[in-house]
Amino acid sequence: MIAYEKKITAYLDGSLGAEETSEFEAFVLTHPEFEAKIKSKKDEISLLKNMIPAVSPTEDSLRSMESEIKASVFNLLKEEPKSMFENLRMKWEEWINR
Amino acid sequence: MKRKDFYLAVQPLIEKLYRFAYTLIPDDLQAEQLVIDGMNAYLLKERKSLLKKEIDLNNKKEVLLFRRLAFKGILRYMCDIGVRRSTQLSEQLKVGRPAEYSAFYSLDPKVRVVFSLRYDSQFTVEEIEEIVNVPRYEVIEKIHNGRFLLMNDLNQGVTL
Repeated sequence: MIAYEKKITAYLDGSLGAEETSEFEAFVLTHPEFEAKIKSKKDEISLLKNMIPAVSPTEDSLRSMESEIKASVFNLLKEEPKSMFENLRMKWEEWINR
Repeated sequence: MKRKDFYLAVQPLIEKLYRFAYTLIPDDLQAEQLVIDGMNAYLLKERKSLLKKEIDLNNKKEVLLFRRLAFKGILRYMCDIGVRRSTQLSEQLKVGRPAEYSAFYSLDPKVRVVFSLRYDSQFTVEEIEEIVNVPRYEVIEKIHNGRFLLMNDLNQGVTL
């Protein structure tokens, strides 16, 4: 019983392996009283989740991050040109992706 | 990997990264800056492997897999920078932090990181171990501490 109790959180968040999940579900089916423990764990997790701030950025903030990140990606993820033609190709790509 | 493909693959992560940053630093501008700094650090460190990587944007499974990998990679740098920054700014940030989350923000930044990775981003203990680069027993200890302190705070609120 204790071994299965320890697996409740992993079962609820889906991090239990396939084999362990079916073993766990089989155990719950044969022990209906165990469902109350799962419910109490579920409630506890949902309480804890509500205590973590879930803040979304404002429209302006999101736009500003997107443009900053886009600029970083284009500046930092630059290939080194191996030939003159590649250099031209990259400049061309840079120009069309502006 | 082309720069455009990389950007398209990671763009949907920006909101999630901000949400995580805010759990570390409860200030709009600082959280925004943490996302950008984490991304820059990731790009600088992983540049070579990213340039070598090929990704087919039409293959949903491949994109999702890459996105998950990039998410963990960016979070790794954000955790590192964010914990230091959060400690440095702790006094200044006390004033502006949201009152409804005071229990959460009273936790140590390292505990906060692990706790939100576990319960908000829903990473497994193994994944958190990889992201924050601390041994598994420490991850479990921090989750346990956070849970204990938050539940304690909640119970105190009920009894008052």
